[in-house]
Amino acid sequence: MKVICDRSALVESLNLVGGVIVSRTPKPVLSCVKVTATDGALTLCGTDMEVAVKLTTPRVEVAESGDMLIPSEKLIAIVRESIDATLTIEATDEAAKITGQDSKFTIYGYNIEDYPPIPEYDGDPDFEVSAEELHRLIAMTIFATARENSRYAINGVLVERDKNKLSVVATDGHRLALAKGMCNSHNDTPQSAIVPTKALNLLLRLFDDAEQTVAVKIKDGQIMFATEEATLSTNLVEGNFPPYADVIPKDGDKKVTIATDVLVSAVRRAALLTNEESKGVRMAFDQAGLTLSSRAPEMGEAVIKTEIDEYVGEDIEIGFNPQYLLDALKVADESQVHIDMKATNKPGVLRTGPQFLYVIMPVNLQ
Amino acid sequence: MQIRKLPTLLINQIAAGEVIERPASVVKECVENAIDAQATQIDIVIEQGGHQLIRIADNGLGIAEDELELAVSPHATSKLQSPDQLAAIDTLGFRGEALASISSVSRTKITSRPTRDGKTAESAAVLEVEGSRLNPAYPAACAPGTIIDVRDLFFNTPARRKFLRQPSTEFSHINEIVTRIAMIHHEVGFRLTHNDRKVTDLPPKQTRSQRVISLVGKDIRDALLEFTYEDLEERGGAKLWGMAGLPEIARSTNKFLYLCINGRVIKDRNLIHAVREAYRGLIPPDRTPVAAVFIEMPAEDVDVNVHPTKAEVRFRKPKQYFGLVRNAIRQCLLDHDLMPTAKLTGDEAPVFKAPVQEKVSQTEATQAFVNYFKDMAPKQKGFAYQEVRRAIETEAAAQAPLLKDQYMQDVTGKEVIDTETGEVLPTSDVISSESETGSATDMGATDVATPSVMGGLTSEPAMNLRPVKILQIHNSYVVTEDEQGILIIDQHALHERIMFEKLTARVLGSANKEDAKPLESQRLLMPEILDASEREQDLLEELKPLLVRLGIEIEPIGPQVVAIQAFPSFLYSRKVEAVPFMRELIDKALDGAISVSDPSAEENALHEVLDMMSCKAAIKAGDNMTEDQLAELLAQREQFERTSNCPHGRPTSLRLSLKDLEKQFGRS
Repeated sequence: MKVICDRSALVESLNLVGGVIVSRTPKPVLSCVKVTATDGALTLCGTDMEVAVKLTTPRVEVAESGDMLIPSEKLIAIVRESIDATLTIEATDEAAKITGQDSKFTIYGYNIEDYPPIPEYDGDPDFEVSAEELHRLIAMTIFATARENSRYAINGVLVERDKNKLSVVATDGHRLALAKGMCNSHNDTPQSAIVPTKALNLLLRLFDDAEQTVAVKIKDGQIMFATEEATLSTNLVEGNFPPYADVIPKDGDKKVTIATDVLVSAVRRAALLTNEESKGVRMAFDQAGLTLSSRAPEMGEAVIKTEIDEYVGEDIEIGFNPQYLLDALKVADESQVHIDMKATNKPGVLRTGPQFLYVIMPVNLQ
Repeated sequence: MQIRKLPTLLINQIAAGEVIERPASVVKECVENAIDAQATQIDIVIEQGGHQLIRIADNGLGIAEDELELAVSPHATSKLQSPDQLAAIDTLGFRGEALASISSVSRTKITSRPTRDGKTAESAAVLEVEGSRLNPAYPAACAPGTIIDVRDLFFNTPARRKFLRQPSTEFSHINEIVTRIAMIHHEVGFRLTHNDRKVTDLPPKQTRSQRVISLVGKDIRDALLEFTYEDLEERGGAKLWGMAGLPEIARSTNKFLYLCINGRVIKDRNLIHAVREAYRGLIPPDRTPVAAVFIEMPAEDVDVNVHPTKAEVRFRKPKQYFGLVRNAIRQCLLDHDLMPTAKLTGDEAPVFKAPVQEKVSQTEATQAFVNYFKDMAPKQKGFAYQEVRRAIETEAAAQAPLLKDQYMQDVTGKEVIDTETGEVLPTSDVISSESETGSATDMGATDVATPSVMGGLTSEPAMNLRPVKILQIHNSYVVTEDEQGILIIDQHALHERIMFEKLTARVLGSANKEDAKPLESQRLLMPEILDASEREQDLLEELKPLLVRLGIEIEPIGPQVVAIQAFPSFLYSRKVEAVPFMRELIDKALDGAISVSDPSAEENALHEVLDMMSCKAAIKAGDNMTEDQLAELLAQREQFERTSNCPHGRPTSLRLSLKDLEKQFGRS
């Protein structure tokens, strides 16, 4: 195998593939990137046995096809530090040779036979979705996943498709984010899958060209996302996603409409005087407006009064973790948000347009 | 079977079974008699743990010759005349059973030379009793007072004799009794001899604190804190005095916890609990503090006539005294620095100790010499330095550079006597200390996280202005310095303690109960499910009010299943999982460690759970901390009282004093 690559393009591709490769692993082959040269194209593969990424690098000249394993960390470092416009990667019996104008590296790799098979994308997709839409759906939900949680299957994001309607749901047990979108369906049977958070983070980086269309296929406990250049496949999270539809309250009779930036600013300021033991911000809604107050013992207290655009229902006081509110407001893509509430100890529902819904459990304030 | 009236001997022997359990009881009864007889010196001689001989000699009032026989008959006493005295007993004995009981189970010889109305009898009289046989009294020579010889205890009750333990064991009981009595009667001298070996020698006319120290051990004198408390007249007028040992000297037995009420050493679980309560969180739960508590209360508030050996009493207002004792000791502990000292190996090696003591006079001389030169040091220099600092502080605060000039005038104005060089010195001081202070403040700003700490620092002496050096060791310990030396801090223990204080302040209220409020709790979108048997469910139902205060909301949702609906938000952010936490809580409740059966149990339970919470939420040993976090932790350490021990009672910090370091490096 021998290829001449454009260095800057290779750096970019290696960084993407490197995102999945773990450096400390009991199976050393997994710390390698698999480099495959076929006629006219160079493909990089990386996997941690859960998630696999396959990426075709542009701007290469294949002199001799073949494949090899190169320890990823070293390869990335060498390619990044090199000063040449192009680099030559060549396979010898046991090692990879990387040659620049004034440099020559030899790195010992591993036997290509030991590398686990990377799932191949073939056949028709179940549905297709624009990269832009996929991006939006993931960004609007992924923040609500549980970072460390053994409960249920909530350290992943639920992707549901019915006909050409896509819903993406994430929760950590305290709040739940639901984003809706459209896709181009090729399959009439409704589908659902829980995609691990790590894969989705990679996905956000991998398909960053809004113009692209991503083909998606769910099969045998795996989900694959593919474009012409890149394929990401991941094992699905096994288990049941909590019955999310049941926890979305529909009886909120206190409805507020407020400008997004006004609410963000007010919550951020109120959050200044909270601490670990008193995180909650008290929010009092009435016809006159919204009063936020917070108090941290031995630190002080804050009161912020803001205007609201519209309020329907009786006065209510409710406590929320400001971080939870800000997380959702950060991804809110409209200038106004709507919040529906029922009671002090009942969840609030935050909406922006028909496409984003966020359920947030209150904090008991005394 | 015929019903008969029991012979006197048998009655006495039965009574003896209650009063005289073992040699120590004989000692107790006789020593108390001696004290009631106003003795000022009591000598106790024991042979073979009292199996062979118990001799108690006092210099008290004695027993008149014609009363000797009466003294050994049952229910004969000089201490109680009418029933109304029973309600307010002020002597140690009153039942009139002791001598009768003792003499019925041993060979007893009473030698007494009485003093009546200031007149001492010419000679002593001796009465020998052996079981039921009374030998007529005969005269003898003797010092004023009474000597009671008890030989062959239980010679006529073989069953009892068989149950006597090893002489050494019996003696340790005697020693304990003597200690307890001597604790109260600090004005009386005690000498205790066992098999011709002098065990205790307490001089008469000691003060209370001298006596406590002599008894508890001179080596821990520095570890004893004195406390007093006087109740107001209208609140019952109880008086409290005592000495409380530092947490670090707490023992594994309660032998070193002395409770004295109205001049009587007693055992009382309620009061022992009160003392332990005062030390809550300062000592591990399996330890008992070293302490002596003396309570004087109106005699009608306490009933001592509930137990034959009078070891137990009954209070009219147990709760009041519980609170009194707990608060007095707790206050005393709060007022002192409880940080234990780190011990270097080979500390206080005796080889070095001896010469140091010999050198006392020499050291004093050296000290005087040093002091002389201290006094002689040019006053202006010190004064100037002080002024500079003040000027800089004001300057820093008011941003008014003018002040410095003013100060310069000040100095020069007052430096009349000094030479030219003397004038130069303070000027250079101005520059150097100013730059020092300036840079220190800068560094302080970067090092110390909270602005409140900064504020605190600038107002303190210049020494503290330097940035505090903080070092984390093995990701487990934090090392820093204070005025007295090196501080070694267990990061987990300290953080746990701080959390515990914060949480307790919130849940129990800091000053008054009104500002107490439940922990902030985060409601769950989907309840967490916990398996719980019927019994556990009942238990949880019972604990419900407690759990609400702790921010936990639980509802049964089916057979064997409960749902956690809300959980403290800070535990979530500290990654404490609800289900395992509740499991542990239930297990503790099943063991009875957490219960709400009465208010005091409820408070205990609150402490217990808050303790669990802080332990789980605190930084663990092995957690890496950033400099900011370290500074923050140390800053919080200053904010809270009682940070010297973690809630489990283990110390959070150790101090290695400069003095010890100097000693170890041979620099002293």
